[in-house]
Amino acid sequence: MSDYESGSPRQRADDTSGIRAKTSPQPDVTVIVPVTERPVSLAELYEEYSEALKSSGRTFEYIFVVEPWHQGSVAVLRDLVERGEPIRVVEAGHMIGESAMLKLAAGNARGRTLVVLPAYHRVVATAIPDAVAAVEQGADLANCRRWPRHDSWLNRVQTRILHSAVTGLPRRTVRDVGSGVRAMRPEVLRDIPLYGDFFRFLPVLALRDGYSVVEIDAAQHPRDTALRVYPPGVYMRRAIDVFGLFFLSRFTYKPLRFFGLIGSLLSGVGALILIVMFIQRLGGQGLADRPLLLLGVLIFTLGVQAIALGLIGEIIVHFNAQGHRSYRLASERGRPESVGDAAGGDGNEGHPSRVTPQGRVP
Amino acid sequence: MNEPAPHLSIVVPVYNESANIRSLVGAVRDAIPGSDWELVIVDDGSEDATRARIKQAAEVDGRVRLIALARNFGQTAAMQAGFDFARGEVVVSMDGDLQNDPVDIPRLLAKLDDGFDLVVGYRVARQDRLITRKVPSWIANRIIARLTGVQIRDNGCSLKAYRRSILGRFVLYSDMHRFIPAMAVAVAGARVAEIPVRHHPRRAGKSKYGLSRIWKVLSDLMAIKMISSFRSRPLVMFGLGALVSAAIGLGFTLLTLLSVPGGFRSDMAYAYVFPSIVIVWFTSAFYLLLLGLIGEVAVRNETISGRTVFSVAGEST
Repeated sequence: MSDYESGSPRQRADDTSGIRAKTSPQPDVTVIVPVTERPVSLAELYEEYSEALKSSGRTFEYIFVVEPWHQGSVAVLRDLVERGEPIRVVEAGHMIGESAMLKLAAGNARGRTLVVLPAYHRVVATAIPDAVAAVEQGADLANCRRWPRHDSWLNRVQTRILHSAVTGLPRRTVRDVGSGVRAMRPEVLRDIPLYGDFFRFLPVLALRDGYSVVEIDAAQHPRDTALRVYPPGVYMRRAIDVFGLFFLSRFTYKPLRFFGLIGSLLSGVGALILIVMFIQRLGGQGLADRPLLLLGVLIFTLGVQAIALGLIGEIIVHFNAQGHRSYRLASERGRPESVGDAAGGDGNEGHPSRVTPQGRVP
Repeated sequence: MNEPAPHLSIVVPVYNESANIRSLVGAVRDAIPGSDWELVIVDDGSEDATRARIKQAAEVDGRVRLIALARNFGQTAAMQAGFDFARGEVVVSMDGDLQNDPVDIPRLLAKLDDGFDLVVGYRVARQDRLITRKVPSWIANRIIARLTGVQIRDNGCSLKAYRRSILGRFVLYSDMHRFIPAMAVAVAGARVAEIPVRHHPRRAGKSKYGLSRIWKVLSDLMAIKMISSFRSRPLVMFGLGALVSAAIGLGFTLLTLLSVPGGFRSDMAYAYVFPSIVIVWFTSAFYLLLLGLIGEVAVRNETISGRTVFSVAGEST
């Protein structure tokens, strides 16, 4: 139990794979499979998708990330590992959520290109080499768009709605964030802050940070066509995610612009009501029996409270900002594009929050 | 590669200024004597040929450097990027559209040597539209001076000279480039001076700002006031707000007592309007007080984690 309590992810050193991983040369591709919902036969999944990679002539490794919940489903992988297939299983000590699972796998991945593959069938296997090729040709992230689609119109409507909500926000668009099949440079997954359910929006987050994102058409897998209707709570959570994404992408560094706008509108309306009533009072009309006065006061104070909350946000951002950088340097195929010696080689091409040029700011 | 760092770095954030790069480099080269300087041009994700033009200039002249950002992050972030990669002991920031004249740079540096940490230019004979540019900027400067207590005539002028030591003490984020003097004084305790500088009308390219920024500036102003006055003790400000709310609540309590001398009757509207208002104000006071406490926690955490809320004005050796 101590492993669970410490909360540290433990990695099962499957003898064969562990040693292979250390001694074999760097593979071209690391396929990361977070094992969560809708478990299918992982062995089947592995065979189908790795076949396509093999025939494309690339070397690869697979990392399956599991939470304690789904441990049963990885038992089937043991046979494959014993047969010498390049599989590693990374086990989280407790339930950590899919974003953290991806981060955990990214820390263990050795491939030149990472592929994130859901633990169920989304697109046909031949799409994987295509996506990898897109990254090898210079894109930072290649998102598989399920196209043409063969599933129920209801599924498609859901995709469409999620889409217009998500991509209506940042200016450039990704046409299928829901496919979940993506190939990318390792630094994209390592550097973009991911938590909660934001892994879904990885292509959108990558666009926001200035990575180059391409989308490739991938035929939908025949087994992805089942009608999916979720309980209302799931849609609710999705809606909250989208709102969170909207807020964070616009106001992370300026909370007062958001809270201040709401607050000024509210307190403005409240003030208007109060002023009108004050003038009426001067004209001799009584106040104490008019509930409108209560509404005016309520709206006004609500507005003040919203502004106050925004100010607290500003203080927090102000202190946080001292160690962060809100920009990211451009890079071409992983190399910085800047010219001039200091900008060239000291590894500053990472995410803004990691940039500490010349060690001046901790 | 390992040549010694130059004494002076000129930082210029640019966005879609391909038409101006060549004349910018030329103007700087003509204006600054000697070769103990570098020109750090930060390309803020331009969509035109700006980046290629800067690369060309950098190939021809080793003193020109390009810092390329991954996308358009805004002027503040671009400027911070330039500061981060500038190597000089003295850093000068400037607009990329040649509205500032590099000829003024030596005068800024001379003023800096008089014992200041930050020298800010103010534009004389400004070549801009009156209604959309000059008037809003005049009002904004007045408000900024009033709120922050830092008397700067022209916050919108990018031409400024900084000591490296002062740049290391604060980080620009959001749209804070408009409030650099106020930030520098409030956060880093900078000694600030002002000198008049030339202003030219835009020669090429388009202006990237319009009237839409008024709301942004206003909300940033509130934020800067918060940070400059209460960053070390947010509870003071919120406590003040709570006191005012509570006072109004008390006022309504009195009104309630006065307006119902004969006692409450449940069929009369004023039996609930005034008492409810009393509750609203007291709730608001309570809320603000709690918010102030959260603010204290935020500040305290940062102080504990090693970042300083104050800075040392100078150390004698």
